[in-house]
Amino acid sequence: MDEERFFTMLAETTDAAPETAERAPSRLKSQLYSAMVTEQAASGPLRSLRDTKAEGRPLCVFENVVQVVPNERITSMNPCRICHARILAEQFESPPIYWPHCPYVHFQRR
Amino acid sequence: MPPEPSPAAESPSGTSRPYALALAADEQTLIAAVLQKDRKAAAEFVDRYADPVYGYVSRRLAPRADLVEDVVQEVFLIALQKLDTFTGQSSLVGWLIGIARHKVEDFYRSQLRAPDGFPDDVADAISSGAPHLDDVIDAARAHSKTRRILEQLPVAYRAALLWRYWEKRSSKEMAASTGKTEKAIERLLARARASFKRLWETS
Repeated sequence: MDEERFFTMLAETTDAAPETAERAPSRLKSQLYSAMVTEQAASGPLRSLRDTKAEGRPLCVFENVVQVVPNERITSMNPCRICHARILAEQFESPPIYWPHCPYVHFQRR
Repeated sequence: MPPEPSPAAESPSGTSRPYALALAADEQTLIAAVLQKDRKAAAEFVDRYADPVYGYVSRRLAPRADLVEDVVQEVFLIALQKLDTFTGQSSLVGWLIGIARHKVEDFYRSQLRAPDGFPDDVADAISSGAPHLDDVIDAARAHSKTRRILEQLPVAYRAALLWRYWEKRSSKEMAASTGKTEKAIERLLARARASFKRLWETS
C-alpha cells in the first residue's frame, strides 16, 4: 500500500471511529448561549418572554416572573444576565443549579 | 439533543427521504425562531449543534485544546450573523461544520506560514513502503494511536497532514492558500509522513 493510500484510509477510518464523537463541555455550551443572546440583544430587543411562552417554550421561574410584567421592554430583557445560574454554569462543569427549564441547567444533562 | 423524528418520519437508517424532510422542516422552524431572537430557540440551537462542532474542531486542532473553545465560539457567532443566509441546501450541522472548516484552515495556514513552519530537524529520508494498515482495522485503536502520534509531531507537520488527508486538500490548494510553492508543500508533506510513519512503527 502506498503512502497516499495509507494516509487517506487512516483519515477516513479515524474520522469514523466512535471515539471521535466528543461532546462539548457544558461550560462551553453555557458560554455559547450567553454570547449568542448578548449578541442578539445588542442589535435590538429580544423576543418577549410572553411570546416565547405562547409559542410553547417553557420558561424558568425567574423568566416567568418577568413575563407577567405589563411592559414589553421589560419582558424583552435578558434576566439571565444577572442570574447566578449563568455565572456558575459558565465557570463550572457541574454547578449546583437545579431550576426547571433553565437552559444552563439543561446543558448539564449528559 | 438530536431532534425526535415523528413516528411517520422515523427511519431505521435515519436517512430516508421522509426523515430528511422532517429534519429539514424542524431545522427551518428552529432557524426562524432564532432569527426572531427567541432565547429558548438559541438555547436549543446551542444544545443541538455544539457537540458536533466541538467534536470536529477538537479533532482537527488536537492537541491545541487551548484553541478549541475559542474557535467554537467564533463559529457560533459567525453562524448567528449569517443565519439568515442559510438556504437549507445542506443540513444545518453541515453548514456549521463548513464554517468551522474555514476557521481550522485559517489555523493550518498560519502554522504553515510561520517562519519556523518548515522544521528541518527531522530527517528527510523517506522509506519506500508505508505502514501496514493492520492497526487501522480497529478504528478505535487507530484513532487513539493516530491522535497520540499527531500530538508528538512538530506543529507544521501535524497541520500539513491534517490539512492534506483529513481535510482532503491538494498540495496545490495548500500552496495557493499559504503562498508557498507546491514543491515546498510536497517536501513538507513528505517529511511529515516520514516522521509520522517512524512513530507509527515504533509505537
